[in-house]
Amino acid sequence: MSEPKEQNSIPTTKVQRSAKFVSTGFKIGGNYIKHYSKKLFNPEMNNDELNQDNAADIYESLSELKGSALKVAQMLSMDKNLLPKAYVDKFSLSQYNAPPLSGPLIVQTFRKLFGKTPEQIYDKFELRSTNAASIGQVHRAELNGKKLAVKIQYPGVGDSISSDLKLVKPFAFRLLGMSERELDVYMNEVEERLVEETDYELEVRRSIEFSEACAGLNNLVFPEYFPELSGKRVITMSWLEGMHLKEFLATNPSQELRNQIGQAMWDFYNFQQHEMRAVHADPHPGNFLITPEGKLGIIDFGCIKEMPDDFYYPFFSTTSTDLLDNKEETIKAFRQLEMIHTNDTPQQVEFYYEQYKEMISLFAQPYMTGSFDFGKNEFFDNLYSFGERLARMPEFKQARGVKHFIYVNRTNFGLYNILHELKAQVKTDTFKPHVVVEY
Amino acid sequence: MSTKLSTQNTKKMVTKESIQNAYIDYVLTEGEQPKSVYIFAKKNEMEETEFYQFFGSFDAIEQSLWTDITTKTIAEIKTQEVWGQYNSREKALSFFYSFFELLKSKRSFATYSAKKIHKGFSTPTVWQGAKSEFETFASEILKDGIESGELTDRKFFADKYKDALWVQFVFVLNFWLNDISAGFEKTDEAIEKGVNVTFDLFQRSPIDNLLEYGKFLAKNGGMKEKMGF
Repeated sequence: MSEPKEQNSIPTTKVQRSAKFVSTGFKIGGNYIKHYSKKLFNPEMNNDELNQDNAADIYESLSELKGSALKVAQMLSMDKNLLPKAYVDKFSLSQYNAPPLSGPLIVQTFRKLFGKTPEQIYDKFELRSTNAASIGQVHRAELNGKKLAVKIQYPGVGDSISSDLKLVKPFAFRLLGMSERELDVYMNEVEERLVEETDYELEVRRSIEFSEACAGLNNLVFPEYFPELSGKRVITMSWLEGMHLKEFLATNPSQELRNQIGQAMWDFYNFQQHEMRAVHADPHPGNFLITPEGKLGIIDFGCIKEMPDDFYYPFFSTTSTDLLDNKEETIKAFRQLEMIHTNDTPQQVEFYYEQYKEMISLFAQPYMTGSFDFGKNEFFDNLYSFGERLARMPEFKQARGVKHFIYVNRTNFGLYNILHELKAQVKTDTFKPHVVVEY
Repeated sequence: MSTKLSTQNTKKMVTKESIQNAYIDYVLTEGEQPKSVYIFAKKNEMEETEFYQFFGSFDAIEQSLWTDITTKTIAEIKTQEVWGQYNSREKALSFFYSFFELLKSKRSFATYSAKKIHKGFSTPTVWQGAKSEFETFASEILKDGIESGELTDRKFFADKYKDALWVQFVFVLNFWLNDISAGFEKTDEAIEKGVNVTFDLFQRSPIDNLLEYGKFLAKNGGMKEKMGF
């Protein structure tokens, strides 16, 4: 019995969800007590064990909540640079398996949407889901000899997003060390994206649009979508055969193959960012498959981040040395991105300029040279240690930067992380940022 | 449809369904039961005796409506291809979902009929037929569940499992009557959650282990002194 236990209860009302979070709060409180009492006797002890305990408890509660809370867990785990390692390890679990929902509920969902049971629609339909998609689950099916993947959304997910986020908030600002008021702008951005993600009709339209736009890129495969077999809470697409990243890496792929996958991923993201100005903003490993032919399959377009010009140009222009060498223009760009505020003192302007300049030149390193080896630990060590240093600075306790950063950072750091795990060497000048040198 | 002027020879055959439909139409239009069978029969152009051939009272009609939906649901879910693959938990879930799907077409009647019911411990007359159908069905799937080992056979309690399911059923019914969410999605959630919790209680749980451990300790009570407690 290695399959995940079917979920027995989904706490859905706000009260129940709150109760879940309250109990988590208690547990975390308990973890701190445990930690400090141990520390009394052993001052050498570091925070690792404490973080591990906390992460386990938060994960437990989040994975029972499913839906948007799970999504937040996934999101937090993407930002490896923001969170201590223990949180990340635990949260990464949520990127794969969440407990499935019952068979009769699936039948019910189909009857409501199409007036037919899945077995009347498809030639074959597997009632046991193959994996969870955080706000839904995926089933195998067959129609006219074609293998299909059918994604089904849990009922009530859309409704519970905002109440979920309100509950996640206290945890988020404890984890990120921000105040509630500052967090609001960002939380709203997250809410907007999550609400979009529950709209499966929108997802089908976008999937078709994006897979057509990216069709010219090398070594990428997209499933075929069937709008007539999709609806508010169901998406039918062709089944892509392949391995998840972890399984793929376990097969010890050659450097050449890893480069090929890495290149496909780099091109996919940078084509979207710089040519489409809208990007698949959910680069967690569960959304990709590596096919037996050595191609990269992309299976989820739920989360799309569109970049307006007033964000795109100042941000990506700073990734070019042409702009970054010009201090005055760089500061103007930073101001436009709200990384430097209008009421900052000259000393503060200087301080943030220095820090952000360092951060961006770190971030932009892959862009600076024609090719980049993501296998090197040095780059990532620098990124993480810089992130940790920032986290400890009181100046960064308050939030800075426009809301667009959340998803753009998540996308790019997610991309970097995956490329790092692939240890891929990538040509980074395939799709270059469009740069404006003066502000 | 003007009924007053229609003549004997255009008169429709009186059937169980025609009486049921006429009754639903009457109570939903008038908001109350007809004053007497005589009035109801006259209005629908039938003989009082024809009415009594099928039903003894108005409550009997209501009862039959509830019972019919229940039997129809059970018959329908059993014809589904997946039925054989379901375990008892899923069979119960399937019943709940299908029942409320069917009941949707008679929601106004269900609301009317359920509103009249006085809250109490005994099963209201109009639900008695449905309850007995439900219990037969529940006993059947529970027995299968116990035989397959999915559910725990507990002395005295195992017989009560079906009652627990009935309580759950009445709860969801009330929930559904008050549900205003689009497509009654909240009811789906209530079913998924409620039925699963009920079945969790039927399954082997830490309580069973605790009881068994207690029994063991009681039987081997002598150990306590030797262990120095």
